[in-house]
Amino acid sequence: MQKVLIYLDAENFEDSVGLLAAADEIYKDCKYESFGLCINYFDDSVLDKFDCLIRVNDERINYYDIFNITNCFEDLYRKFLFDVILIPATQTGRMLAPRIAMRLQTGLVADVTGINNLEGKIEMIRPAFNGRILAAIVNQNCSPVMMSIRPNTFTYCNNSAKKAKIISYEPYHINPCGIKLLESKEKEKARDIRESKILVSGGGGVAENFHHLYLLADELGGMVSASRRVVDQGIASRSIQVGQSGKIVSPKLYIALGIYGSQQHIEGLKNVENIISVNINKDAPICSLSDIVVEGDAIEFIDKLIKRIKKYNNTKIKK
Amino acid sequence: MKLICLVKFIPDVENLKYDYDNNVIIRENVKLILNPDDASALALALKLKDMKQNINVEVVSMAPLNVIPYMEDLLRIRVDRATLITDKMYVGSDTFVTSKIIARYLQDTEFDCILTGTHSLDGDTAHVPSQIADILKVRQMSNIVKVYEESFSKESVVVEVDSEKEYCKYLVELPAILSIQKESKYKLPFIKYKDLGLDVRDKLYIITNEQLNFNKNEVGIEGSLTKVSRTFVKKNNKKQKFLLRVDEDGIETVFQFLRDKGFV
Repeated sequence: MQKVLIYLDAENFEDSVGLLAAADEIYKDCKYESFGLCINYFDDSVLDKFDCLIRVNDERINYYDIFNITNCFEDLYRKFLFDVILIPATQTGRMLAPRIAMRLQTGLVADVTGINNLEGKIEMIRPAFNGRILAAIVNQNCSPVMMSIRPNTFTYCNNSAKKAKIISYEPYHINPCGIKLLESKEKEKARDIRESKILVSGGGGVAENFHHLYLLADELGGMVSASRRVVDQGIASRSIQVGQSGKIVSPKLYIALGIYGSQQHIEGLKNVENIISVNINKDAPICSLSDIVVEGDAIEFIDKLIKRIKKYNNTKIKK
Repeated sequence: MKLICLVKFIPDVENLKYDYDNNVIIRENVKLILNPDDASALALALKLKDMKQNINVEVVSMAPLNVIPYMEDLLRIRVDRATLITDKMYVGSDTFVTSKIIARYLQDTEFDCILTGTHSLDGDTAHVPSQIADILKVRQMSNIVKVYEESFSKESVVVEVDSEKEYCKYLVELPAILSIQKESKYKLPFIKYKDLGLDVRDKLYIITNEQLNFNKNEVGIEGSLTKVSRTFVKKNNKKQKFLLRVDEDGIETVFQFLRDKGFV
């Protein structure tokens, strides 16, 4: 039976478990054996989801000690000969996956958004050239198949009732880490755009008046998000970026203001129920995904819509 | 101290044109820019050179020969040496092969610290810095938004990393590869007016496969472990849509839509 290893990143444990959906996508209805690797972290909730859980408990390995985690992967690969290794594209995962691939002398595809299985040949799809096109990538004469996947890319529905076998693994060659955490300070607790039911999102068309978006977001009780273009210009923080290189969001309402809708942006919209786009170009790609397209100036739209909502709220209060 | 900056010149992706009929990128007359994260890494190196004595900065890039004018411009802002790794054999290399080629050059080069960007605007795989680190058996840290310049010594450096939920301060022993984000706000200086025409050719070194000695089947498309099997434009499911304008009717329709769906 084919074996799949998934790295369960302690920093993003639940999202990592979701990578099982990608494994399902690879094997469709065929059976495979799923392995989860947990390093210095464990949560009982995964016991019924995997066939095997490999546990490493070694306080010499810190979560940022990519070098020694790579060593663990190398040893485990030699032992179990996995067919597929899936790494969540978290910050740690993005440093880890390339090292493992180099160590195992195998190919690696980053930020995979789709998978096809062509009679055993696994085709990995990822957006290329700023999302303008999609590229299908295959491994050439090397194994295992390795990919990194952003959280939420594949929808995971947990309906398995497995009973994981626990395998304890003791790493035997640990190198000095050479990196020491001196201190960490939590960022101001900004809400995560992935948790907001309403997103008011801005692109290049509203870059100059980006702060206006917050007025509408406040009125609707939603959050502001941004396209990559605005983030690259330094106007909005990367933490609110929607898209392939940002976050994948599933709000009930997405208001796209001055957003062109490049493929890499659209990759960030997953199961969005309603999209309203406002754009001076009614043929922008985002418009073809929208329930409502408003052709015109997005800032003017914000002001007028806020006025209309305020008027409604006032009459409600009077009643 | 010797600092090496790995940089990449990329097509200005925002202004890239795509030929939808033939499914190819139009590459003629495409302007190249220095990848923004890499520019920040180089700016940091030059800042350290300003602050401390005896710091030597080398820029290394793997690219076709047409980047030479861009590399010469880096030499005009006081980079000490620019190395261009280039060979027809290397065309089409994936990230795995690219890392092997650059690492082979670095293996025979002395350095205390290698600086790179974290993201690249074109491929955005972020594979190369980590893969080179694995070949050179050195540490590597991504998403660095601040380097405590005064802490920079031959033995170690203190850096700040933006790790989604928090900012973490790390002491990193050198040699190491530090990957910087443009959010660090290190900015490259402009070329001074008097240096615009400066002859810098004696500081530009071209390295080809004659020096690096790969077999043909180890590099390029042939040596790559991944291959693009096909490219396509995704067809998005078109929705039945209303087309409105920013006028009273338009706003009213949007408002009613929001009310019907319970958003207001």
